[in-house]
Amino acid sequence: MKTTKTTGLLEYRLTMGMTVMEGQGFYYPVDTTIAADGRMYVISRSRDEVARGVRVTMCTVDGEYFGNFGGFGDEDGQFVWPCCSAIDSLGRFYLTDEELHRIVVFDRSGKFLYRWGEHGSADGELDTPSGIAFDSHDDIYVADTYNNRVQKFTNNGRFLMSFSGPGEDTMSLPWGLTIDSYDNLYVADWGNDSIRKFSSDGIELACFGTAGKNDGEFCRPSSVAVDSDGYIYVADWGNERVQVLNSEGVFVEKLRGEATISSWAQNFLNINVEEASARNKADLNLQIEYVEDTPHEESSHIEKYFWSPTSVALDKNGLLYVTETNRHRIQVYARRDR
Amino acid sequence: MDNDIGLIAHLMRRAGFGANREQIGVHADGGYRDTVEALLSPGEEDRMGDHLIRRFHPELSGMMGPNAPGQNWLYRMATTSAPLREKMALFWHGIFATGYAKVIHGKALSDQTRMLRTFGMGSFKDLLIQLSKDPAMIIWLDNQDNHKGAINENFGRELLELFTMGVGNYTERDIKECARAFTGWTIANRDYMELRSQRDSDWPYGRIAWHFEYHPEDHDDGEKEFLGQRGKFNGEDIIHIICQQEATARFISRHLYSFFVSDEPPVPEWRYTSPANPEAIDQLTRVYFDSNYDISAMLRVLFNAKYFQSQDSWYSKVKSPVELVAGVLRLTGEFNRPRREIIDRYFQASYMGQFLNNPPSVEGWHQGTDWLDTGTLVERVNFASQQIGDSNKPGIREMIERISSTPDNVATPENLIRVCLEEMGVISVEEDTMKVLMDFASQGNNHPLNAKSDNRQKISEVLQMVASTKEFQRS
Repeated sequence: MKTTKTTGLLEYRLTMGMTVMEGQGFYYPVDTTIAADGRMYVISRSRDEVARGVRVTMCTVDGEYFGNFGGFGDEDGQFVWPCCSAIDSLGRFYLTDEELHRIVVFDRSGKFLYRWGEHGSADGELDTPSGIAFDSHDDIYVADTYNNRVQKFTNNGRFLMSFSGPGEDTMSLPWGLTIDSYDNLYVADWGNDSIRKFSSDGIELACFGTAGKNDGEFCRPSSVAVDSDGYIYVADWGNERVQVLNSEGVFVEKLRGEATISSWAQNFLNINVEEASARNKADLNLQIEYVEDTPHEESSHIEKYFWSPTSVALDKNGLLYVTETNRHRIQVYARRDR
Repeated sequence: MDNDIGLIAHLMRRAGFGANREQIGVHADGGYRDTVEALLSPGEEDRMGDHLIRRFHPELSGMMGPNAPGQNWLYRMATTSAPLREKMALFWHGIFATGYAKVIHGKALSDQTRMLRTFGMGSFKDLLIQLSKDPAMIIWLDNQDNHKGAINENFGRELLELFTMGVGNYTERDIKECARAFTGWTIANRDYMELRSQRDSDWPYGRIAWHFEYHPEDHDDGEKEFLGQRGKFNGEDIIHIICQQEATARFISRHLYSFFVSDEPPVPEWRYTSPANPEAIDQLTRVYFDSNYDISAMLRVLFNAKYFQSQDSWYSKVKSPVELVAGVLRLTGEFNRPRREIIDRYFQASYMGQFLNNPPSVEGWHQGTDWLDTGTLVERVNFASQQIGDSNKPGIREMIERISSTPDNVATPENLIRVCLEEMGVISVEEDTMKVLMDFASQGNNHPLNAKSDNRQKISEVLQMVASTKEFQRS
């Protein structure tokens, strides 16, 4: 692992993954969850018309590849629009399916266990479930996207409660969720360009950020993670960056991405010499005037930048994993002070 | 006449993708001329936003494959409040036809569509300059291989033949001189990008967007003689000269007339066949020069002309597959949120013969009745009737509610047909079509009209029948 930054809270460590429709690699990955033993579960959403790209890949941050499980379909153990994942205290892997409006549960090796969820808007029903997170009691919170709320269930799907924010200040198409060490819930309130913090009984404790691209502002945040010191990491998806806030919600740092060649990508380039040679002669950091001056456009041109940083996740050692959907890879960062 | 809803419905079919009765009524309140102005200057666009689309369809953000640009575009056509802008992008796409089969880069094609949308209703000169710098066009017509001292004529030839003037208005030498002027117009990191495109390579990290790059060292800065003018012309100078030509004005005028008013023969025949309405072409040619090549000025005159408004023109054109699909989707309101069904709807247009961003050749698609054969006609009718017949779709549900809420609407078969034709876009039908509709509405089948009971199923069936009529398949 190499270090390139000398200041700031976070330093870049490495990039892992590459674009692969099947097998060792990712295809439009949308979320990564890291088990206590370091095993990573990476959800590939794929292209809508490419069923074989849909899967969960098991690997490690060092590039060890254990294989895939799941796949496109509506049978047991299958999914159509996989979105987010979480792991309970027993190591079971839970995945949300936005198209089939349900939660699919696997054991740590990827063997299908059970599923639950019904489409609707009544208590306990779901409309496009996305973010998912467990509290210390193994109760599960689900971002119920098109119902603009979060619902809380037992881990086998028994409804406990739902909430959406105080009064009329409700969530709008919530996406990623996380739980801190005090069982507070953080919601990436995508449509409201903010991060909301709730107590375990659904009382809103704080709301961070407004729409914009300045420090501490967000554009369609998709995911949030909180470390043991209370630092809040936000996938500022529409701004194509990651922002770090302190526990009070004050801006600390922003990352634009600095990807390098992953071990899997290097294998590809070693084999495909002609492509590697042409690549070495290319300038992939060209600073140009963009037809459309947006971070999305900039990221589409400059390969090292985050492009669709959909998910942020922490492992038990505090490493930060940023899953970039459009670049089919994960950039890994670490706290410099650790 | 200014508030004639039939005429405004005609305008919305031609200058947009059609509209339901309620939407046409809103335009009618403002009058025909104001509706034309609203189409030409739509203000801030209301549509399904890019963020929402990208959230649920990552490929419509990363664009690695051949279908993403077209799906993205179809979302826009189905949901935009600025339909003429999309219609004009579609118009230019048919002329500056660029396809995935050779470009093999979805985002480059989507970027081209964005360019056509941005510049398609302004100065034709600006549009041509953007087109000449468009990375997808550069690869499509090999201008990356057009070098100082070793020209590739492809772009120069098509610029004159297919994009601006037409055969017979320039010489082979003009083509060569034109090509010389565009030497050095290429894309950045050409070798790597071209290699990846040829290999359809997504590796290692997805596609990298293309952008234009000018290489002065590869540009032939020598003197050139082009269309009778001499100078050290660069690409912009060539476009300036092209835009000054009468042939260019007539070429674009004839294209606009053919697309919006009445089908002209295929372009290769223009050299030998006079326009059906030479006065209209003369008029549009004058506007082209008077307005300094402004496309919107030409459209304004065209939409306000008698030849456009005449009832003889109504339903005289066959909707292209994309026009048909987008129009149906606007009626059904299906895409009030991103849905996986966009894949199917997009492919339906290709089954009917129009694969967006992948035209059959540099000449684009043949229009008019060429869209119809026994296979595509079945596809078209099946698609429209199936979609319109699905009363779970929000737009259809609302139509049925509106119709059923007034008892008089379902009191007789005549009333029911009249109101269904109105709801579907103020459609007027010929006698033979009316007879078929009447026979259908009068039949009991499983759902006879009954003033005392729920007629929703019958209304749905009649709406479905309207979608099957020849008038609905035309614009």
